[in-house]
Amino acid sequence: MPQAPSEQAGAEQAIVMDQVSKAFGPTKALSAVSLTVNRGESRALIGKNGAGKSTLMSILTGLTQPDSGSVRVLADGDATGTAGVGCVYQRSTLVPAATAAENIALARFPRSRAGFIRWSEVQRQATELLAEWEYAHLADTPVEQLEPLERKVVEICRVLSQGPRVLLLDEPTAGLDRGASQRLFHHIEKARARGVTIIYVSHHLHEVFEVCDSVTVLRDGWTVLTERLSRMTVPDLVDAMVGEAAAGAGDGPHAARAEPTLPPVLVASGVTAPKVSDVDLALRPGECVGLTGLDGAGHMQLAEVLTGQRPAESGAVTLDGRPLPLGDISGCIQAGIGFTPEDRHISGYVPGLSVAENATLNIMPRFVNRFRLINGRKRDEFYSRLAGEWHIKAYGATQPTEELSGGNQQKVVLARSVAADPKVLVLVNPTAGVDVSAKKSIYDTIEELRADGRAVLIVSSDDADLEICDRIVVMVHGEVSTELRHPFTEGMIAAAVQGDGTAEPDRRPSGEEDSQ
Amino acid sequence: MSALSPKKPAPESVAAAPSSPSSPSPPATRRARRSVDPVVLTLLPIIILAVIVGAVVSPAFLTTTNIIDNIITTSAVLGVLVIAESLILIGGYFDLSLEATVGFAPMLLAVLVSGVADSGFGLPFWAGLLIMIPAVLLIGLANGLMIAKLRLNAFIVTLAMLILLQGLTIGLSGGQTYAMLPDAMTYLGDGVILGLPVQAWIFVLAFAGAYVFMKLTPTGRSIYAMGGNLEAARAAGIKTTRLTIGVIVAGSLLAALAGLMLTGRIASVTANQGNGLIFTVFAAAVIGGISLNGGRGNLIGAALGVILLGVIQNILTLSNVPSFWINAAYGAIILAALLVGWVSTQRFSGRRTPA
Repeated sequence: MPQAPSEQAGAEQAIVMDQVSKAFGPTKALSAVSLTVNRGESRALIGKNGAGKSTLMSILTGLTQPDSGSVRVLADGDATGTAGVGCVYQRSTLVPAATAAENIALARFPRSRAGFIRWSEVQRQATELLAEWEYAHLADTPVEQLEPLERKVVEICRVLSQGPRVLLLDEPTAGLDRGASQRLFHHIEKARARGVTIIYVSHHLHEVFEVCDSVTVLRDGWTVLTERLSRMTVPDLVDAMVGEAAAGAGDGPHAARAEPTLPPVLVASGVTAPKVSDVDLALRPGECVGLTGLDGAGHMQLAEVLTGQRPAESGAVTLDGRPLPLGDISGCIQAGIGFTPEDRHISGYVPGLSVAENATLNIMPRFVNRFRLINGRKRDEFYSRLAGEWHIKAYGATQPTEELSGGNQQKVVLARSVAADPKVLVLVNPTAGVDVSAKKSIYDTIEELRADGRAVLIVSSDDADLEICDRIVVMVHGEVSTELRHPFTEGMIAAAVQGDGTAEPDRRPSGEEDSQ
Repeated sequence: MSALSPKKPAPESVAAAPSSPSSPSPPATRRARRSVDPVVLTLLPIIILAVIVGAVVSPAFLTTTNIIDNIITTSAVLGVLVIAESLILIGGYFDLSLEATVGFAPMLLAVLVSGVADSGFGLPFWAGLLIMIPAVLLIGLANGLMIAKLRLNAFIVTLAMLILLQGLTIGLSGGQTYAMLPDAMTYLGDGVILGLPVQAWIFVLAFAGAYVFMKLTPTGRSIYAMGGNLEAARAAGIKTTRLTIGVIVAGSLLAALAGLMLTGRIASVTANQGNGLIFTVFAAAVIGGISLNGGRGNLIGAALGVILLGVIQNILTLSNVPSFWINAAYGAIILAALLVGWVSTQRFSGRRTPA
């Protein structure tokens, strides 16, 4: 295995991971991973979804124990266990109504002898930490009034207040616009100059070049590369993430499919919404199109506009030539759009209702008899047809959806998207959190629906989901940047979502409005 | 962020994966025929037990008069209120102001239709109804708009409405009791149809109607979906704002009906009619298996909850418990019923036990 060339003799080591392995059941998450980061170094940790980044992070922070191998965080030559790693998570862990100073002191308030909080001390410590980031004036401001970048800094200061040797940053620019990201990089650079060691986890490869001086690439639980970034380029990293074999194999089952010739059924023109600017998109009947991008690239928001979940600021979408009522979910369903929501737990299914009810939730009035009461048999018959189509495994139409496995719950949600016999299907993360056999079965059904003449839009970052598409529309910073046609490779997708790199940082004005 | 996510997602399975393709999983077959609601299975034995206790305590207990005139009839007001609150609870909200509507609606009507000599306005009964019903609609609409449109917290909105309505009731009446009511207004209390009191008919028909509505109509199922997962209901095209307002307005109308029934029974309206009733309403609904978190429970269970409380209250009245202690005993029994219900749902529904 390639081993760290950044270990120069004489440099002080901050963290040493030696031959760490971890398995969850039959799945090997990490296989003999070794990682050495020097004091004051900024190391990028990259890899595709499922490469083992999350497991590595949770082992570093001590949340997960490795099956074998050792992790040492070194403080001035002494081993101190794993408590020396502080992690700034992608999602906010701040208390919105509390001030920046209170948030920083949270859970370890300095106390007086009588047990009361010493507010002057809280204030002093927070101001001191924030001052290092040039944000001392924020100490008394409630976090909910802060800008996204300022919140991120408060979050970082809270972690630093606990005195970690190593700072682990997980996608720190999520929710930040370009300008704010640049300022964050500037601050991180200064922190590094003060001796803070950083492990930087991100999917945004261009960022990695701005912030880090070395990189470790994980693939399928192995470290495939550790190298100084000055010797690397974005395409090099993409190759390392994707691997030789996958980069070459491009002919999926649909590679030889004929180009659809029918006129487009769904046409979006000039769609603009938060995070989406001036997007054009056309779907033809019998076509399966992928829509992808990095987190925050706007593809999820575009999907929400197309399905009526979010109004558009400008632009229009037509289905069969008729304008879609954007922002009106039931109007869009009636017009012929079927969709799955982004997260099946949050907005996918109603746990206590039966599988049949969940699968037909959008078309209940179809099953009423002349007394306007639902004919349960009629509904359950309709459901069994859907269940057959999607291969849903439940003991019957009446089983509560919450009792099913994740894969079958997902199939129930997918089944609902086609219950109203839509012309256009927008499937967001269709195989999120499902096992391999369920995934295969979902792909088969999507293929049947496509062959049936429906237009399918798969919105996902999962390579396997995109593999079944005829073409892939790639979004970068709210705009369509490229379109990939079969035969494409994982490497091409991974490179395309990064954008074209050189022109990119200046493409958007720095004060760009940000919704999160 | 994840407040709306289900409490017990099925285990995301590496382990379940191999078993799924061919063999049906064992828990599925075990509960393949679960047609009887666990709440009903729990409450029926408890009610039977209570009846046995009642028969032992007092010979007057197991008489037709006691059962129909006392238990069923006095439970009817509570029953209609429980239906109202259950619809709202299943939809994922709640309404404290129902008990104030119980006082306000009949008081408004009484003031309008009582003779001028009895410090009323002397309007005909139908004219009084034509004013009272829109007033009640307005109450529900105000609550509904504030909760669904402005997204204000249901607790504080309906608490404020409760205080406002109680104040209006006292203001309207000047604190006095209206007892000289037209016959039409007391019919709900003393009317008899086919040998049964009107209140008993309302009790049975209202629960049957509400059960069918919630179980079999698209609107009823949409209420379940909304209370079970608001975001999912919205994503399925259900107009959740409109539905929320509708449910709360329906609750107010039912509460007004309950108020008229109560007035009819005691043949007068007092300025504090309905005060404190809401706690019993919640107790009956929860004992009857209606979830405070929304989306679960059914109206048969709620009806059994009302009957159980009615039986217990009746036994306490018939037995020689000193009247000053009746409330304490009643509260203790409600707690006991909740605990028994909790224990038995643990046993009957396998999903609550940790895997």
